[in-house]
Amino acid sequence: MIKLEQPDITLGFIPLTDSAPLIVAKELGFFERWGLNVTLQKQNSWSTLRDKLHAGVLDAAQMLAPMPIASALGLGAPSANVITPLVLSLNGNAITLSEGLLQEVLKENEITNVTLPMAGYLLQKVVEKRKHRGLAKLKFATVFPYSCHYYQLRDWLKAAKVNLDDVDLLVIPPINMVECLENGDIDGFCVGGPWNAKAVRAGIGMTALTSFDIWQDSPEKVLGLLDSWHQKNPNSVLALCAALKQACSWLESVPNRFEAARLLSQSEYLDAELDVIAPSLLGSCLTHKSMPPRSIPSYNQFSVSNNGCINQPELVRGEWLIKHMVSAGQIPPNVTIPLDLIGKVFRPDIYQKMRLLIEDKGVQFYRRSG
Amino acid sequence: MISTAKSQSHLAAQSQLNILLIDENVQRAESIVTALDNSRYKVSHLACTQAGLLKQVDEIQPDIIVIDIESPNRDMLESLHTISHYNPKPVVMFSSQQDTETINLSVQSGVSAYVVGDIDPERVKPILDAAVARFKEFHKLKDELNDTKQQLESRKTIDLAKRLLMRSNKMSEEQAFHSMRKTAMDTGQKLENVAKTIVSMLRSFEKGNDHD
Repeated sequence: MIKLEQPDITLGFIPLTDSAPLIVAKELGFFERWGLNVTLQKQNSWSTLRDKLHAGVLDAAQMLAPMPIASALGLGAPSANVITPLVLSLNGNAITLSEGLLQEVLKENEITNVTLPMAGYLLQKVVEKRKHRGLAKLKFATVFPYSCHYYQLRDWLKAAKVNLDDVDLLVIPPINMVECLENGDIDGFCVGGPWNAKAVRAGIGMTALTSFDIWQDSPEKVLGLLDSWHQKNPNSVLALCAALKQACSWLESVPNRFEAARLLSQSEYLDAELDVIAPSLLGSCLTHKSMPPRSIPSYNQFSVSNNGCINQPELVRGEWLIKHMVSAGQIPPNVTIPLDLIGKVFRPDIYQKMRLLIEDKGVQFYRRSG
Repeated sequence: MISTAKSQSHLAAQSQLNILLIDENVQRAESIVTALDNSRYKVSHLACTQAGLLKQVDEIQPDIIVIDIESPNRDMLESLHTISHYNPKPVVMFSSQQDTETINLSVQSGVSAYVVGDIDPERVKPILDAAVARFKEFHKLKDELNDTKQQLESRKTIDLAKRLLMRSNKMSEEQAFHSMRKTAMDTGQKLENVAKTIVSMLRSFEKGNDHD
């Protein structure tokens, strides 16, 4: 019998399509089944979510995969020992271009339609022409500096041989993305759901490609918590991971994902229409008002039963993220990366303990009495 | 938008300070603006839901940004330090929730951010005064640290040049130092720059010899 050190847990999340595991675990009683009383706290920005986690105002939180590494290195905030014992989702982002930029792409390349996923060289031509004519640089937005969105956008542009100095990369809060795309403040963005689908439904842009077209099956959101909190509450952490892992497994079934979309659309969560949340969960990428959706079965991926490892925070994935942080120039010269950094942040050992616990059905969690 | 002003005034100067206030609560923002009338603070207000914060920062060149900790625009502010080439702006964050104190502990420690409790108009002036004092102190410390580092670096370079000269020209320590000081005086250069030239020259000679 294992006792929970702390049954009441406050879990932070940002209202996005891939917060599905947290919302499913809450709404379908997975947390309760493990004896946990979890309060989900909706956050408005990744920075404040991080500060609250560092300060212990949140016990744990859904985080962008590079964030625990940024926390450990003290990037953007004083360093804190954030660890991740669980990967919550893979993929899920996409790059959407404004209608204006789409027309420019067609014109400059002398074509009448774009094959999707859109090849980067079509964009490169626009960037070159603009530079040649002394016109304004194209502006692309992501949601946070330490995010896969930012690295994916950079990788796509670099692969297209776009000189990154010839475009502007900005950070804009997701709630402002669609509006900014519509009024021409930006020419494109790389974000998660439901924001790409929102832009397409509004008829103001084209989703050119998904993150799955750029990086296959890389961790997108992870569970983050302080190492000190884990040391005080090892069993509560195991129970939290177990409940979330079960929610991920439940989300593997496509019919279940439609049910998840209904839960997500509620006002206390995403507060958005079903027709912008459901498509990506069902493996459909909306592309453009006058084009059919693309089938991307892994658009939002939470669990794959023939590959038991996708929720495991593998060290090699962490190393891959660090490489991107370095290449994006995000590590200041006065910050050295300790050799054992990823081993401290990514914790497959906790994940493995949790797996054994789920398999050993005899074990039950109990609230601490008194 | 209530008011904007283009001014390049610097934090260190006692002249007018430009404040960019990011707050969804229009009523509160208006009373803050009123409370700071006739003070050295000139406030521009931006509601959270408005897009274009980046443009605002560019136009207003605020000396201090005051923001609700729950504003979605926090991530954009954070990116100013990492993605763009903006000089870091001091940020005062306020929070109407009880947990401010604990958040403050994790945010403080030298970064140019400062969390205060609920920012009611009565208290806003003393809060900004305290923030300005704090940022100044922090920058002073940072400048001092940079100066010390710089001095240490220059002493190291001079020592190295001296040792290289002693070895290559078979000089005593005193002779090496005197010859560097003489060159510096004759050519009107800083001793450190002379030392740098000597180090790079003698180093490249040494490399050349290694290849022989």
